[in-house]
Amino acid sequence: MSLLTWITFLPLVGALLVAFVPTTSKTLLRTITLGFTVVVAALSMFVWSGFENGTAAAQFVTESVWFSIPGETTVHYKLAVDGLSILLVCLTTLIMPIVVISTPGHIRMRVKEFMVWLLVMETGMLGVFLSHDLVLFYFFWEISLVPLYFMLGIWGGDRRLYATIKFFLYTLSGSLVMLIAAIALIYQAGSSDIAAVTSWAGAQPLAVQGWLFAGFALAFAIKVPLFPFHTWLADAHTEAPTSGSVLLAAVLLKMGTYGLLRFGVAMFPMAAVEAAPLFMLLGVIGIVYGALLAMAQTDIKRLIACSSVSHLGYVVLGMFALTQAGLRGSVLQMINHGLSTGLLFLLVGMIYERRHTRLLDQFGGVAASMPVFAFFFVVAVLSSVGLPGLNGFVGEWLILLGAFEASALFGSIAVTGVVLGAVYLLVATRKMLFGPLEREENRSLKDLMPREIGLMLPIVLACVWIGVQPNPFLDKTASSIDAVMERVDAARAELQVGQATSDQPVNMTTAARTQR
Amino acid sequence: MNAESLKGYFDDAFLMGVSPMLTLTVGVLLLLLIEVIPSVIKLRSVVFVATLLSAFWNEILISRDPVGPILGGTYSADGASALWGMVFLASTFIAWIFGRRYYKTDRTFLGEHDVLLLCTPIGMMLMAGAEDLIVFFVGLELLSIPLYCLASFQRARDRSVEAGLKYFVLGAFAAALFLYGAALTYMDSGTLSLTRLREVGVDSTLGLTGVGLMIASLFFKVSVFPFHLWVPDVYEGSPTPVTTLMATGTKAAGFAFLLKLIFLLPSGAAPVIATVAILTMAIGNLGALVQEDVKRMLAYSGIAHAGTLLLVVAGALAGDPEGHATSAALYYMAAYVFTAGGAFGLLSWLEADGEHFTRLESLRGLAGRRPGMAAALTLFMLSLGGIPATGGFLGKWFVFSVAVRAGLTGFAIAGVLLSVVALGYYLRVIVAMYMEPELEGQAPPMTRRLSASIATGMCVAMVLVLGLLPGFFIG
Repeated sequence: MSLLTWITFLPLVGALLVAFVPTTSKTLLRTITLGFTVVVAALSMFVWSGFENGTAAAQFVTESVWFSIPGETTVHYKLAVDGLSILLVCLTTLIMPIVVISTPGHIRMRVKEFMVWLLVMETGMLGVFLSHDLVLFYFFWEISLVPLYFMLGIWGGDRRLYATIKFFLYTLSGSLVMLIAAIALIYQAGSSDIAAVTSWAGAQPLAVQGWLFAGFALAFAIKVPLFPFHTWLADAHTEAPTSGSVLLAAVLLKMGTYGLLRFGVAMFPMAAVEAAPLFMLLGVIGIVYGALLAMAQTDIKRLIACSSVSHLGYVVLGMFALTQAGLRGSVLQMINHGLSTGLLFLLVGMIYERRHTRLLDQFGGVAASMPVFAFFFVVAVLSSVGLPGLNGFVGEWLILLGAFEASALFGSIAVTGVVLGAVYLLVATRKMLFGPLEREENRSLKDLMPREIGLMLPIVLACVWIGVQPNPFLDKTASSIDAVMERVDAARAELQVGQATSDQPVNMTTAARTQR
Repeated sequence: MNAESLKGYFDDAFLMGVSPMLTLTVGVLLLLLIEVIPSVIKLRSVVFVATLLSAFWNEILISRDPVGPILGGTYSADGASALWGMVFLASTFIAWIFGRRYYKTDRTFLGEHDVLLLCTPIGMMLMAGAEDLIVFFVGLELLSIPLYCLASFQRARDRSVEAGLKYFVLGAFAAALFLYGAALTYMDSGTLSLTRLREVGVDSTLGLTGVGLMIASLFFKVSVFPFHLWVPDVYEGSPTPVTTLMATGTKAAGFAFLLKLIFLLPSGAAPVIATVAILTMAIGNLGALVQEDVKRMLAYSGIAHAGTLLLVVAGALAGDPEGHATSAALYYMAAYVFTAGGAFGLLSWLEADGEHFTRLESLRGLAGRRPGMAAALTLFMLSLGGIPATGGFLGKWFVFSVAVRAGLTGFAIAGVLLSVVALGYYLRVIVAMYMEPELEGQAPPMTRRLSASIATGMCVAMVLVLGLLPGFFIG
């Protein structure tokens, strides 16, 4: 069996194993889960080191026949990794052990079930990023809804049932429209292999591309979530248990942006060029509106959830700027958002476990009683607002560069988002950490335990590393992004030719008229 | 008819072609015989299972080496009818095994129950393979009459009797509709043979009225709008194992013939059929959304699934020269038999301990008390909702593939959006089992049942295999 098959399905094997461990041995359950996620993370490092930077082609390909749709095409089990997915795959595998280590704080009941769902979720997420067959991709895409549904519904907050059903139905309705688009696409292209479908789709006229693009983009826009589909996110994030929120922010939302890139921009370049202004507009609205929403929040977790909407607006803005810088920044920012927002959710979870509230006005001066916590919180906030030297800066810089190249108007509005982001996060930091230590409950708060520090250190290190030296990460994605840009440029050229030919007859008649 | 012409009827091909039905008939006779010999009454289950298994084996043989038209072209023992036959046998088996310990006061009549039950797959097979309107009608009655009795099998229970009566009155009405339609068609074209009718084509008002009446009668059998009104009451009132059979086997048989009959309509009628399909889905899903009883909810969900399958029929009519619609419908129905069969089966397990235990609130906290049962029911709910790794997902994929290929994309989009509504109520079952605290005094007792456990395990395995390794069943 190939490496990618191991990486994808080892967590599922772990889930089956965990299912047979007695419910009462909670430490054993956690250890086994941790063991499996660590092994998967280690295996993914082989992929990272063996990955060839110089090619846009799919690597580590493993392929075999899965089944044939009656009278149609043969569906393949095809896993591979390329520049668009390599970073996300490694982010997923590396964040999983951290999530598992964080669970003793907030998952105390029904530990076994949680571990099973955690592992099933890892298989689902990795499957989404690694699938290079459309049917297989859709299969993993929908299946990854189920574990989060259970995580939210069983271990969530007070309004968990509302949030969980809203999340499920919202994302499912988008997915099912994508199902029809995928069926139509496979039928017309005569194959479900993503490379084959992509080359078929690129050669189609705008009318064909447009409809298919719309079907796919809707599903991804809901998942991202892009304004105006963002309402499920705030509820889901707020009600989810810490580890669910971390995974949601770090990985699951990235499935949406990843999908927009691979099945939107790369697959239907002509439609993407035409739709770019709309998506940039929605991205910019998301940036500003998300920031304003975040400002108005009194619950710190909800505040971070709203900031996610704002940050993902940047990712979409950079992507649909359709420039080298924008795309690179967009791909890097997916990782950055995962790291910094994931870190913030972890920290909020830790303070909630101690204080049992997340309302900002209940805090104040926490830095005095929890200095280590304060340090990590400030790092996470600074990374999130894009302080130079930390990861957020590189991504946002590239995105803004790309956005200005495409449209000065959207670029300048997006810049205000950076300022707003600094405002709401720094204000929240001040309210929480600094100022006088007035409340009695905050005085006696215990600072972080070694376990908690240990699990956050890798994320902080990654934030600094990407901030100081982003090139190793950007280089991994470069060739694939070049290939996407080539397709986009070709589509632009074709659109211009199309316009020119449709203009021509008009010109000729006017010319004829003037001659007369 | 002289001896010479009879020779053409009863040759080896004939024997092979009718062998599944012949086996079942022998089984029925044996069961009747066993009833009168008290010393061998224990053999009843053995005979029942052995009959089903050997009929299944015959179907496998036919599917490998199709016989083609027999009985003077009135019945076709081809690959499709053999596969339908397997679906019917599986459905009968599920209904039977979950019924083992279901009946309490009516246990003494289990012999009659089994005889009646074993008659139904013969009728279904005749329906699925019929190439002649009268042969179909014989099959229909052979299925329906035992079902009327089975629906009212719990004589001491008012609702069961009521269900049987309702089903009988409306079923007789539908049968009359069919006969009237067949008569009009015969008046128009002078033949009852489907093959001939397809060759000649039906285009006069008289003939089309006849075909329309026959289709309406089938719509009644498969519970399609606007002929679905009997479904919730009858499904809820009948003994649950019988409901299983009605929801899966009967529906499959109706669709098997509908997929043949539909070609008598002009292809311009496809949007009309597709509209009916969407309306059926809407009514089924919206009706299910407000139910508090899971059995009744599954009855409405059955209406919605009939709507989905009707989309395949519309796709077949709109343009599907190679019969992909039939394989899509077969796959969908096979998945549905095991999914709905398993779900209804688990409900019958709970219901046997008290009729109110199928209510949603009784399922609360089931995951803590009976993790295995809750997990199986979760899988069935996800499969009914068409979530991947289950047979329901691939079935949905194939069905909507047919619709999109036939150019019914708008209807397909409406259909998938309605299946989002469906998830709304399937998830309520999961929410109750996993996410809500148990209600005091509402919990069903922990009865153990070996046969039902085995049957559940089989359904779970089949749902997963159909969802993960479809290569087994395609081709």
